Amino acid sequence: MRIRSWSLTVVAMAALVIGLWGSNPAPTRANGEKDDEKGGHAHVPAPLEYADVHAPLSVWTDATMIARGKEIYTTRCAVCHGDQGDGKGPAGLALPLKPSDFRDKDGVAEMRDNYWFWRVSEGGQVEPFKGKGSAMPPWKGQLSVEERWAVMAYQHTFSGHQGPHVPWEHREMITVGRDIYVMACVPCHGVAGKGDGSVGPTLAPRRAPQPRDFTSGEFKFRSTPSGQLPTTADLLRTVTEGVRSAGGPMTIGLRGHRIMPGFRHMPLGQRLEVIEYVKSLNRRFWDRQEIKTVAVPAPPAMTPERLARGKQLYADAECLACHGGRGRGDGLSAPTLKDNRDLPIAATDLARPERFKNGARPEDIYRTLMTGLAGTPMPSYADSLEPDHAWDLAFYVLSLSRDRRRTAEAGAR
Amino acid sequence: MRTILTLLVIVTASVSPWGVTADEAPISGTVKADDTMANTLTLQTTAKGKTRDVTIVLKPESKIVKFARPTEPGKTGFVEQALVLGDLKPGWVVSVTAKHEGGNEVAETVKVVLEK
Repeated sequence: MRIRSWSLTVVAMAALVIGLWGSNPAPTRANGEKDDEKGGHAHVPAPLEYADVHAPLSVWTDATMIARGKEIYTTRCAVCHGDQGDGKGPAGLALPLKPSDFRDKDGVAEMRDNYWFWRVSEGGQVEPFKGKGSAMPPWKGQLSVEERWAVMAYQHTFSGHQGPHVPWEHREMITVGRDIYVMACVPCHGVAGKGDGSVGPTLAPRRAPQPRDFTSGEFKFRSTPSGQLPTTADLLRTVTEGVRSAGGPMTIGLRGHRIMPGFRHMPLGQRLEVIEYVKSLNRRFWDRQEIKTVAVPAPPAMTPERLARGKQLYADAECLACHGGRGRGDGLSAPTLKDNRDLPIAATDLARPERFKNGARPEDIYRTLMTGLAGTPMPSYADSLEPDHAWDLAFYVLSLSRDRRRTAEAGAR
Repeated sequence: MRTILTLLVIVTASVSPWGVTADEAPISGTVKADDTMANTLTLQTTAKGKTRDVTIVLKPESKIVKFARPTEPGKTGFVEQALVLGDLKPGWVVSVTAKHEGGNEVAETVKVVLEK
């Protein structure tokens, strides 16, 4: 009797295991995970090539644009996203990754305009959407930039929101970035991003450099011409590399005498999130239509002739007035230099390239010469130096280094 | 005890679906090829960053449809238009509801998402 019970138990357990295995077979599907049926739309930061594409504010409320967007939407998007924008178009119902529901106010509020534009442009051909089996086609080859904005403006109407789709209307867009900012940036840059954090003044007491005022629109480290805002890539470079400095008592512990630490250790997505928050502090990022950057051509070979020409340019361009004859930052004008906050600012000691705030590679120096450093006495030479001459001067600046290896490295490139 | 165990065996065996699997999720992808002789459709699909080809078997009862705007004045929405396998062209994006049958993916409905 006891043996029969055991036998029945074994048979029952075996049947249970086989039954469960049979009802849940190993996945053989190419895509179509159950989780994705619920949405699976991740509002990740737009990649750098799309990060600076912000829709003009007028787009969202312009009746002509909205009408144009409706026409495109009806013929190209509604079959999946639905005539009502609810993501329930007939072709979208059976998709593994459900089409976006534009009536979902919260979901739409989280979508930044550059993310939206990226999604319309690239569709499901990019990660993380491709891996989720998104069937969204890329429209960049078929719709112009304005047409894509028009479609977005029409899709936006489904959410019921009346104003422009910008971070100061929808704080949800920048929640992640704001949280990171609060943890990592507030001590120096301040709660409102005005560069008035409590720690900032102690980094370099009563003198420049001070933490950036993000609301002023003046950014030192750019690849854009003088007077313009930086690109997202410029901001990412600064956040990643940090800012070097001659250093004060509070910066000695920071690696490489950085007055701003580098955040290379922070995941790229988080760095981009905090940059989106920083951009939201200045509406001019949404006003600019076309972004021009200063092209940095491939460095030529460094020759003694270039160095000689560079030395002459150094004198002609009056670099020595501030940086001094030997580049030690001890020119005649150096003691009188002030920044845009009327704080004394030191001329950079060119003999110590490891402390160049905008980088010390030949291409970094070239970029600094061509863009200038906004808010400081360092001007842009874009109008007065030909590219070839800028390289001459960049190589000469490097030759002033105490560390002769830098000059040798530059020449070997 | 014996009654309980016997019931357990019967219940477990009855929930085990051999042959046809329920709870299917859809497949979407780009048409790579169709074979009207073998009644199969090959899709290029991507999941978890990996792209692979999936062959879908079509049975006589399988439906292939695309959606179009109604031509009658005043009508809105979309109407279904029936297609045959040979109508599907490489590059088109489709979504497929299918079932596992004998190790194959057998289509119930193929919906055209985008014609290229």
